Amino acid sequence: MTEDKSQHNGEGADAENIRVGVYICHCGGNISDTVEIERVVEAAAKMPSVVVARRNMFMCSDPGQSMIEEDIRTERLNRVVVGACSPSLHELTFRGVLTRAGINPYLFENANLREQVSWVSKGDPTGATDKAIRLVGAAVAKARLLRPLEPIRLEATPRVVVIGGGLTGLRCALDLARLDLDVTLLEEQPFLGGHLAELGQVYPSDKPAREILGELIREVSAHPRICILTSAEVIEASGCVGTFLLKVRAAGEMETQCFSAERIAADLASRAHGPNGDHHNDGAGTTELEIQAGMAVLATGFDHYTPSQGEYGYEEHPGIITLPALIRELESGGLGSGPPALNGRPINSIGFIHCVGSRELDGVHDQNGKTELNHYCSRVCCTSALWAAKQLQARYPDLQIYDFHKDIRTYGHGHEDIYEDTAKSGVIFCRFADTAPPKVTVTESDPPLMISLKDELTFNEEIDVPVDLVVLVTGMVPHAIDNLVDMLKLPRSADRFLQEVHPKLRPVEMAVNGVLIAGCCQAPLDSVESAAAASAAAAKAAALLGKGYIEREPFVARVDQALCNGTSACVEECKYNQAVSLVETAGGARKAQVNAAICCGCGMCAAVCPTGAIQVDGWRLDQFDAMIDALLVNY
Amino acid sequence: MEKQNIKTDVLIIGGGIAGLQAALDLGDQGFSVLIVEKEASIGGRMINLSKVFPTLDCSSCICTPKMAAAAHHDKISIMTLAQPTNVEHQGAGFAVTVREQPRYLNAEDCTGCRLCEYACPVDLVHEVEGNLGARKAIYVPFNNAIPQVALLDMDNCIMCGACEKACPTHCIDYLQEPREHTIEAGAIIVATGLDLAPMDVKAEYGGGKLVNVLHGLQVERLLAPHGPYGRVLRPSDGKVPDTVAYIQCAGSRDHSIGIPYCSRVCCMYAIKQAMLLSGALPLVEVFIYYMDIRAFGKGFEEFYQNAKAMGIEFIKAKVAQITEDEHRNPVLRYEDQVTGRVEERAHDLVVLSQGVVPAWDPRAVLPVEVGGDGFIAAANENVAPCRTSITGVFAAGVATGPKDIPDSIVQAGAAAAEAAAYLRGNDKVESITTADRPAQRPVEVG
Ligand SMILES: Cc1cc2nc3c(=O)[nH]c(=O)nc-3n(C[C@H](O)[C@H](O)[C@H](O)COP(=O)(O)OP(=O)(O)OC[C@H]3O[C@@H](n4cnc5c(N)ncnc54)[C@H](O)[C@@H]3O)c2cc1C
Ligand SMILES: Cc1cc2nc3c(=O)[nH]c(=O)nc-3n(C[C@H](O)[C@H](O)[C@H](O)COP(=O)(O)OP(=O)(O)OC[C@H]3O[C@@H](n4cnc5c(N)ncnc54)[C@H](O)[C@@H]3O)c2cc1C
Repeated sequence: MTEDKSQHNGEGADAENIRVGVYICHCGGNISDTVEIERVVEAAAKMPSVVVARRNMFMCSDPGQSMIEEDIRTERLNRVVVGACSPSLHELTFRGVLTRAGINPYLFENANLREQVSWVSKGDPTGATDKAIRLVGAAVAKARLLRPLEPIRLEATPRVVVIGGGLTGLRCALDLARLDLDVTLLEEQPFLGGHLAELGQVYPSDKPAREILGELIREVSAHPRICILTSAEVIEASGCVGTFLLKVRAAGEMETQCFSAERIAADLASRAHGPNGDHHNDGAGTTELEIQAGMAVLATGFDHYTPSQGEYGYEEHPGIITLPALIRELESGGLGSGPPALNGRPINSIGFIHCVGSRELDGVHDQNGKTELNHYCSRVCCTSALWAAKQLQARYPDLQIYDFHKDIRTYGHGHEDIYEDTAKSGVIFCRFADTAPPKVTVTESDPPLMISLKDELTFNEEIDVPVDLVVLVTGMVPHAIDNLVDMLKLPRSADRFLQEVHPKLRPVEMAVNGVLIAGCCQAPLDSVESAAAASAAAAKAAALLGKGYIEREPFVARVDQALCNGTSACVEECKYNQAVSLVETAGGARKAQVNAAICCGCGMCAAVCPTGAIQVDGWRLDQFDAMIDALLVNY
Repeated sequence: MEKQNIKTDVLIIGGGIAGLQAALDLGDQGFSVLIVEKEASIGGRMINLSKVFPTLDCSSCICTPKMAAAAHHDKISIMTLAQPTNVEHQGAGFAVTVREQPRYLNAEDCTGCRLCEYACPVDLVHEVEGNLGARKAIYVPFNNAIPQVALLDMDNCIMCGACEKACPTHCIDYLQEPREHTIEAGAIIVATGLDLAPMDVKAEYGGGKLVNVLHGLQVERLLAPHGPYGRVLRPSDGKVPDTVAYIQCAGSRDHSIGIPYCSRVCCMYAIKQAMLLSGALPLVEVFIYYMDIRAFGKGFEEFYQNAKAMGIEFIKAKVAQITEDEHRNPVLRYEDQVTGRVEERAHDLVVLSQGVVPAWDPRAVLPVEVGGDGFIAAANENVAPCRTSITGVFAAGVATGPKDIPDSIVQAGAAAAEAAAYLRGNDKVESITTADRPAQRPVEVG
């Protein structure tokens, strides 16, 4: 290792007078509790081209940012290095500082001293400080070779495709149209409304789902900016943010006119009466069409969890049904108008068993042929079950209802009231431990079903509760959308629902640029939460598409025509359709050419190019070389 | 009193995470926004939290960029120490009177250098640190406050003049008066967030007087890397606690103090704090006394199960009473629901997982409909949860009911969509017929 600085001067760096400012962040203690910040600042001051090196409690705070801004002006800085947290958090913040100070924002480089240093080296402050200095050295070396870049401007088609016509998709489509964007709403079923259409009165408003949806569908179908395609399936997807191209197969006649009030009512009525109700069929034949859209919103919703045969006795006795099935019976009057009965069998007592297919634990719950257990909580089932219980009580005051749960999670607006009301009017609550779910047995006696558990509310007493009807409170699983996930390369979380890009701050965006998510395809949500997510996604789309163009990061491949031999190695290596291709130049030679709208800057092409002609801007090979050399310098 | 007129597309009341996100979502659509915040800094509760459930992201690390983004946005203006005092309809929009409290210094000239703070001889408890830390009578609210400008607490100032002498820009002005502004706004979003449920009324739990009984926000500060003590200690004697107890539903699901609803975040913040405490103090034992654990959000149940696996003890019990022993250890009296026995147990530190109440009752100023729980009611909750009873007035975040950060952010986006549609004049589609519909058929292929 050498102390000779001149050796690390990359070519190009000398061409202009490079003036680097280095800023080290304490992150309120997150970094400074482990890394000796003063040492890093001292070392940075000695690095080539560095003219100022400073520190601050929070570089991202206003005073931190102002410090940089002022130095750029007074010290005539033309490169900035910040040693702080991961660039995924603040790279944009600091680029903004450079812009405000009047220099190209891409002349910024980040050294990650938190995730990559302090958080992972808590026990070794000396080593951490040394590592921090080396990373800052590498960042300075790269910064010296940075070139000004301009963001890529893409055309933005002012149309959004909304996939899924449940409450979420409907609400989102309407909001997008209200924000003056064109919308194509795709629904794979012949009817709109999704799962909400299966319900009767819904909490917390106590309005009939049909009224809520009917009004929404009327508005959506009447809106001149919205085109609805039912029985529609996406069969191909390409393009990127700004111009996605979706090939859609829609069965039957295209729905481009207003739905009549009668049609809406009939559809919704058929839904509430069962999954195979007599729904509209718009005729035979399929049409294929292509839709160009600037963005896509996924609102593909959920499926009810279906218990496996034998799970809590499911399918072993007609008196063991799921909550959605109970709601359907309630809705269609299947329990009768006199004393309640189901399929001719009188029902005097009902037992609800919560968390069927939710909150499952390894080693406790049977995999029952399922590929994975559902560890998550389905959020809406506690309240939905008690809401159903409340309606049963109102209709059949003599009915005895038992409720078997781990925890009652009536968290939302008005939910606790529902819980209290059912308790006051006689629902008997029993609690089982996470690790000891109740057992359901079919007996010869009357009533024929027996629920057995250790009840934590009566001091772990073993109890057997005979009932006429067992209602399995099933949760949600994500609706199967494997083809969309593959086509659009969508990330999913461990629970198999779609994964938002940042669970705290960016709940409706996905890592795939231009694709948003809302509603139950992301996680179990009630309609209130789904509707809010739908509107939030519309706001995001309006912000991105409203300007008529979209700006993308300029970190894409660029070809040096003079060096390109036209070997087509890059074209063969590229994983993205049409991102790089060979074109004939004026001189007749074939040279590589990059489509910046599609290129993702992955760098596979740069790795295989025999002459170094194709490189990714912002991550050029000379920059990597300089960084590696700098890592070996001792300061 | 000085008067000023300001025109803006949208006025947002409250600069917490919900207000900030709504402002960004509107600003990015090209609408001008004014945020009116009653405290000296924007950021709301989130900026003073330690880490957030269930990701355990450092809260100030992810909140600061939002604050900075709003502060630097060319469509967003921010007014701090300001509250609306009157709202009137004006055309399709509103005329809002806003009263701005004096900082007793000229904010444009203050550089946030803190020399005044260092010179000030008056020591006071710091509200932002949950009264566990100290501040001066003139002070910058906290490290990452926006704006980074000092304010003078006139009630506690002894008028010694030390700050005025220390100030390099001579910006201190002891005679500053409150200012009144008239804001002409096309639409309003209320995002006034939460306060903790009051505990002084809960005599069984010591009525807020037991020194080693803290509330959740105080523990957030103890756990923050830049908190008041720089580590976790108990207030009475600076002892590192060996056992810590959380009492759930303190000021939630409790008719006796008029708060029957579930506050929705306390289970999760207690579990989060318990995990962080176990990380900070490897020997600590943490007990959570609860009725139901409501870990209902994405990744929450998994988080709860992890906490159990880490050894945090969950005790199904309603705590009836908290007293104090001679060492000032809080003593809990509770009935263990699983064993049925009434137990007494002392802990070094007790945390009340206090519920949340609305921070602002808008009715005297802005007569939107409010539910029985005091939160702003939605006119059509299942479909449009951010629309209030007044057309053109929307609400988001905890102002509409308790919720966590992501749920608040989602509502902020929804309120922004609603306000934008309203301003575009597209609030309602009236009687559009098929004939009005332009050809919207996508291109047929094949
Ligand atoms: C038993 C139960 C009771 C409930 N009760 C209430 C209540 O009382 N109050 C309340 O607020 N909430 C209630 N909910 C929650 C409510 O049902 C959901 O919040 C709501 O249905 C979510 O709407 P969504 O549009 O996100 O999903 P869904 O309703 O599932 O709609 C998704 C739609 O997308 C379509 N789709 C899926 N994949 C594709 C594809 N690839 N291409 C095209 N289209 C596709 C589907 O066909 C469907 O129409 C209840 C839920 C359950 C399970
Ligand atoms: C102890 C505790 C721990 C928590 N931990 C987490 C966690 O780990 N993860 C998580 O997701 N959530 C957590 N939360 C919840 C989180 O704090 C809230 O979800 C979030 O703060 C809500 O944001 P908001 O903007 O709606 O309200 P707030 O943060 O309360 O912001 C409201 C703003 O409005 C201002 N304001 C109020 N009235 C007026 C008025 N009249 N005029 C002008 N301005 C006004 C206030 O000063 C404030 O700045 C926690 C809550 C508590 C109490």
